[in-house]
Amino acid sequence: MNLILLLVLVIAAGAVLSVQAAINGRLGQAVGVLRSSLLTFAVGAISTALLIFFFEPAQAVSLLDVPKWQLTGALFGVVYMMVMVGAVPVVGTAVATVAVIVGQLGMGMLIDNFGWLGNPAIELSGSRLLAMLLLALALVFMYRSNSRLAD
Amino acid sequence: MQASSMAGVAAATPKKNLLRLLLLPLVILAGMGLSVEAGLLGPLGVQVGHLWATLSIFGVGSAILFLLLLFSGPQKGPALTDLPRWQLIGGFLGPMYVVVLTLATPHIGIAMTMIAILSGQVGKSVLIDHFGWFGTQRKRVNGERWVALALIVAALVLIARG
Repeated sequence: MNLILLLVLVIAAGAVLSVQAAINGRLGQAVGVLRSSLLTFAVGAISTALLIFFFEPAQAVSLLDVPKWQLTGALFGVVYMMVMVGAVPVVGTAVATVAVIVGQLGMGMLIDNFGWLGNPAIELSGSRLLAMLLLALALVFMYRSNSRLAD
Repeated sequence: MQASSMAGVAAATPKKNLLRLLLLPLVILAGMGLSVEAGLLGPLGVQVGHLWATLSIFGVGSAILFLLLLFSGPQKGPALTDLPRWQLIGGFLGPMYVVVLTLATPHIGIAMTMIAILSGQVGKSVLIDHFGWFGTQRKRVNGERWVALALIVAALVLIARG
């Protein structure tokens, strides 16, 4: 697929994710984090199942054929949710957000560089490093602007 | 009275700081977990199809959360059916995100996918605040946020070219 188109798609997914976070934040406050997460995951599972039923072409390999460790992705998501629920009230949203991003990008670079988990290896090039650096700077500016608003 | 409450605060602060320091690596690990999740999804999607890979995330997640909820006893707050409908639609947005993850990571890598996701989140918040989209109150966005957005766009250009 066209790289630019793919990037636009991923950026749009990020925007959608923050809309979801805004909606779920309200929901979580009202009914508790467990119930709001279960609702999110169950609605997600059901709508995906509907899409598969009507649109997914037949695949040669099914979920039951792949090695079991490839199916553990959801565990990381649930653990992440639990950690955030416990940690955010103690360390604060801003610090927690930056810590998550540091973990995400650090691990992302490691997986890319070494091609772990069956991913194609993408070497850490100069332009990739520079992109990370710009992002880190951007986060500093976001953080400063937010803390000024809070004053 | 004043002095004793001050002493209480002073005693509580180092304890809280220690807790913070202990929690921080845990939060970083949780963030690393998100990248591992994305790293598992890409190859899985190539093998079994993007929608099936997405179903594995939401299916397993639902099952675990259902069990957790079942054994954690009665929950506080109103029933889900008493809430305004629009608060329940968040679940439709999650699959879009996961499908895009499985599509993108094999082509642009996990770190770059995460950067692009992040720029979508930041960009959306800056633009919505500035133009007052979706019925939000229009707020002036200060210079620092525009600089942040510009830096992120520059990062994305670097990725697209590299």
